[in-house]
Amino acid sequence: MITGKGITKTFKQRGSVLAGREVQALRGVDFEIPKGGAVSFIGESGCGKTTLGRIIAGLETYDGGEIGINGTLMSSLKQKQRQPYFRRIQMIHQDPYSALNPTRTIHQTLYAPLKLRAKQTGRDEKWIDERAAEVLSLVGLDPGSVLSRYPHQLSGGMRQRVVIARALTVDPEVLVADEAVSMIDVSLRLGILALLKDLRERLGVSVLFITHDVATSRYIGDDGEMYVIYRGQVVERGPVDTVIADPVHPYTQSLLSAIPVLHGLEEPGAQPVVPVEAMDGSQEAQGCLFASRCPFRQDRCETERPVLQVTEGAPQEHACFYPERRDVIARPMSGV
Amino acid sequence: MAKQAPGVRIDGLTVVYKTPAGELPAVRDVSLELKPGTITGIVGESGSGKSTMALSLLNAVQPPGRIQHGSVEIDGLGDVAKFRGEELRKARGRHIGYVFQAAQNSLNPLKTVGKQLLDLGRSHGVEDLRALVREAKDLLGRMGLDGARVLDSHQHELSGGMRQRVGIMLALVLNAHLVVLDEPTTALDMITQSNILKIVREVHAERGLTTLVITHDIGVVAEVADRLAVMYGGRLVEQGPTREVLADPQHPYTRGLIRAIPRLVGDINEAQALPGRPPTLATVPKEGCVFRERCPLRMDVCDTVDPAAQAYGERIVACHAVDSAVKVPSREGEHA
Repeated sequence: MITGKGITKTFKQRGSVLAGREVQALRGVDFEIPKGGAVSFIGESGCGKTTLGRIIAGLETYDGGEIGINGTLMSSLKQKQRQPYFRRIQMIHQDPYSALNPTRTIHQTLYAPLKLRAKQTGRDEKWIDERAAEVLSLVGLDPGSVLSRYPHQLSGGMRQRVVIARALTVDPEVLVADEAVSMIDVSLRLGILALLKDLRERLGVSVLFITHDVATSRYIGDDGEMYVIYRGQVVERGPVDTVIADPVHPYTQSLLSAIPVLHGLEEPGAQPVVPVEAMDGSQEAQGCLFASRCPFRQDRCETERPVLQVTEGAPQEHACFYPERRDVIARPMSGV
Repeated sequence: MAKQAPGVRIDGLTVVYKTPAGELPAVRDVSLELKPGTITGIVGESGSGKSTMALSLLNAVQPPGRIQHGSVEIDGLGDVAKFRGEELRKARGRHIGYVFQAAQNSLNPLKTVGKQLLDLGRSHGVEDLRALVREAKDLLGRMGLDGARVLDSHQHELSGGMRQRVGIMLALVLNAHLVVLDEPTTALDMITQSNILKIVREVHAERGLTTLVITHDIGVVAEVADRLAVMYGGRLVEQGPTREVLADPQHPYTRGLIRAIPRLVGDINEAQALPGRPPTLATVPKEGCVFRERCPLRMDVCDTVDPAAQAYGERIVACHAVDSAVKVPSREGEHA
C-alpha cells in the first residue's frame, strides 16, 4: 500500500526568457494505491500526471507532503534508506524502443538486475537463468526464442513485454505504467492491458496506469480507482466505471466528450462539453483552475477554489461548486 | 488553371524497398480512388504500408524505395508517378499539401515560423510575399491562433497542438487543393486531438479540398472521413463508406481491428486483441493472403492465392471467405 498526502511540486523554468517563472506541477495531491489494486491517473498533457507517477516511483523529488510505503513514511528515512522501498516500485515507460539497450540481448538485459537480486538473497547462477525464463513466461513470451535476441529483432508489443519482464525481476509491488500502450499497435494493445490485469491477479502487483486515453484504463481491472488531474489538482476521483459513465466535473466531461465517436457503431452523448479555450498553464488563477475554460462557470468560481469533496448520492469525489451529471460519452447504437 | 478539389486515381500501385533479401514490396498492387471534395482515411498498423502509400502521392518515396508499378493520376496534373525533378518540386506545395507525421518535430528549430513561411514562398516563386503572410495569418486565425504571434515564434515556443496547426497552415498556404495528413493527431492528448480534427473538417469544407488522412487510429477516421480504407501487410484489404464499414465490416482483419478498440461502456471482455502480430517487410508472405496467419476464416486457397479486390456495391473487399460467401450464399455457414 502506497499513500500520498498533500504532495506538492514546483518547477522553476530555466533559460533566458522564462527564467525564474514557476510552474506548479502538483498542488497538494492525496492518493492511495492499495495492494494489488489498480489506479489510473488521467488528464491532458501538462496536467502533472507523469510528474506524480515519477515521484511515486522515486525518480523525482517533491517539495511538500508525505509519501508512505507500507506504513513507513519516506520523510523519516535518509535518501539511501529509501532505495529498497522505491526499488519495489517499477516504472514502465511509453516508448519500448528506447527503454531497452540496443546492444544487449534480452538475456543480458534481464541478467543484470537478476544478478543483483541473486547476490542479495544468496542464490546461484542457475537460479538466475530459471528466473529469467520464468519472468519471460509470465509476460507471455517464449524464453527459448526470445532470450538470445536483440531488441531490434522484436516487435513493439514484444519489446513492451520484455520491459515488463525486466520490471518483474525485482519482485515489484507496484508497476507504474506511463502511457504504456500508446505506442503499441492497436491490434496488440489489449494484449498488453490484459497482461497487466493478469499480473495483478496472479502476483498481486498493484498497477498505476497513467494515460490520456480514458478507455484503456478500464481494461486493467473494473475494480480500479480513477483520478482526473487538472493543472496539478485532482478534480474528480472514484471507481473507474462511475467516473466514465457518470462524471460530475466539467473537466472530466470535456475529456470524455473529446473521445472520437465510432459513427456507425456508436451514438455521441447528448450533452457534450467543449472547453471554451485551450489550456494555458501560465496564468495563475485565484479561483477554480478550470474556470477560464469552463462553459458553466459562475461568479463564485472566479474568486474561490473548490476542494475535493464527497458527491451526494454518488461514490465519487469532485472539486466543483456546481457538480452536475451530464450525458457525454458515446454509447453503442441499439441493434448493433 | 481554376483550382478546385481534384480527384485522384491510384491504380495498381506497387512500391518496393531494396533490402539484402532483394526488393520487397511495402505496398502491393493497391488501387484507390479519392473522389473530389471527399475525406478518405487510410487505417493500418505499423508496417502496413500506409505512409509509403501516402508518400507515393507526392512521388516522394525515398531510396532504397521506389515505385515499381502503377500510376497516381491527379486531376489537372497527370500521373505524378512519372514526374521528375523540377516538375515534381512544383507540384508539391502548389497542388499537393503534405502535413508530415510528427509535425511537432518537422519545423526548423532555428528559424521562426514566419521565416520558414517566406522560405517556402521564395522556393515556389511567390511574387507577392506580403499576400502570402496575410494568407498565413488568416489561416492561423481561422484555426484559433494569433497569427502574428505564431509567425514570430520558434517551434519550442509552441505547444504540440499549435505546431500541428502550423503544419496544416504550411500545407495549405500555397493554395493546394489536395492535402495529405500523415498521423495528424498522434502524440496529442484527447482535447487537442478533437480540436485538430474539427479544424481539419472545417478547413476541408471551406476551402474545397480533397483530403487523405493516414492513421493507426480508427477513431480518428470515424470522426473525419467519408470513406475508410484498411491496409494490412502492404495490401488494401477493405474500403467503403466509413459508417458502413464500421457498422458492418466484411474483411476478418477489419472486424478484428474494430473488436480490439478499448471502449468506454459495455462488457470489457467483448474487446479482444488480435492473435499474432502484424507482418514486417521481411515476413509478409510472398504468395497467398497476407492476413492468413492471424485469420479465423483461413481456408486452403488462402495459402496459395492472393485474394483480388472485389467490389460489392460501394464496398471493396479482398478476401476469399467473403468472396465465396457472396457468390455462393448457401455455403456461407462452412466458413463462419
